[in-house]
Amino acid sequence: MEALKAVATSNGADLVRRCRAGDGTAWEDIVSLFSRRIFNLAYRFTSSVEAAEDLTQEVFIRIYKTLDQYDAKQGDLANWLMRLARNLIIDDYRHRQRNPQNTYADDVENHTFHLRAIGNSAQKDIERRELCAQVQEGIDKLPTDLRTCVILRDIEELSYQEIVEVLKIPEGTVKSRINRGRIELAKILRRMRVVNI
Amino acid sequence: MSYQDEKKIKCSEFEELLTDYLDNSLDRQTHKAVAVHALSCPLCHALLNEVKDALKLCREISPPKTSITHLEARILTMTAPETAMACELFEDHLTDYLDGFLPAPIFHRWERHAVLCEKCTDLPGEVVRTIAACYTYKMDELPIPQGLNAKILRATIGTEKANVVKVDWISNATEWIRGLRFPIPLPQLAPVAMMMLFAVLVFSQTVSADGSFQGVYQKGFELAEQTYRQSAGVWGGEIQTEQKSNQEPINGTYINDEENK
Repeated sequence: MEALKAVATSNGADLVRRCRAGDGTAWEDIVSLFSRRIFNLAYRFTSSVEAAEDLTQEVFIRIYKTLDQYDAKQGDLANWLMRLARNLIIDDYRHRQRNPQNTYADDVENHTFHLRAIGNSAQKDIERRELCAQVQEGIDKLPTDLRTCVILRDIEELSYQEIVEVLKIPEGTVKSRINRGRIELAKILRRMRVVNI
Repeated sequence: MSYQDEKKIKCSEFEELLTDYLDNSLDRQTHKAVAVHALSCPLCHALLNEVKDALKLCREISPPKTSITHLEARILTMTAPETAMACELFEDHLTDYLDGFLPAPIFHRWERHAVLCEKCTDLPGEVVRTIAACYTYKMDELPIPQGLNAKILRATIGTEKANVVKVDWISNATEWIRGLRFPIPLPQLAPVAMMMLFAVLVFSQTVSADGSFQGVYQKGFELAEQTYRQSAGVWGGEIQTEQKSNQEPINGTYINDEENK
């Protein structure tokens, strides 16, 4: 979030221009601004810190190679970069689903969630940490197509139209998958006693 | 306690204490210190308002309440059983209901089902909580693993010390030229280029004797000289009775006027 605020204030186009000219510090700025967000997106699809780390690196290599294609007139850097990252991560996810031997080991239980130190009690942190782990566990149990739509809509907060563009499927299908995905996730979380009323 | 004795806090402390302040879980003195700081610092005051608004928004995400009572729903179902909704259809319309996009006839049937069906009655609330849980998950981002940024830099620019990679002036100039915005879009330059080419061809083929640029230049020079001589003569009071025309015609063929006579 902080990264995006920072890039909003700085000039993304200028950063890219400096990068293309070979300025290493400009590229370092881009990496430090977006690595966390891309890593988290990758983690939501892979459920593995190591796999997300590798995928984030791959995404940045691809971004570096395609920086020439960035056109400031077609949108700001954050949008362009996240769209590219999203497409690559989803492609990777679909590829893994077609080749199950490539699926990553689920290490939801092993990773450490970021704990905010802003005046929260330890109990609250533990609760939030548990909730996040349970949500990721629930998302992992969703079928591939529903999982993708739920992540894009309810975590990445993309509009229906943006999801249509990313997944290249009709809007009606997107809506129905989001609806079905939410219901399935709610039922999974109910069984895990996360969202019981 | 005098004003000077009051506890004072810095902006960083304010941020740390903010959640507890809003939860009313601070001791009296600290609570007061946070309130005083919020009043004195415009940035922290804005932050406090932002957090308050966000919390208000979160509270609004509560399970939806149906506008129909259990008794009304039962009466309607008994009197008009054909309007009852199947559980599957109820689930299909759930997101549209939450988004407020259900048309009135389906809306009422949907609400009736939500009230009466024991299997489905908790589902809307659970979905709303699930969406809120996803939001919490989104906000609680994982930190990037240690060394990931350095790894990316090594894989892309070959070193993790980015300041070593300096930009040379040629690349800088290339990028500067690339970034220039032409006032005329490139497709519109094509007719201009055609006109220029046409003009060059006309000049070289009509004015020049041999069709070369050197010929055009030479002819221009001769005409300039001739014009100068004429002007100088007029200025000096000479009356030109006969004007010698020894010019080459525009088609480049040399004609001697005296021979023609």
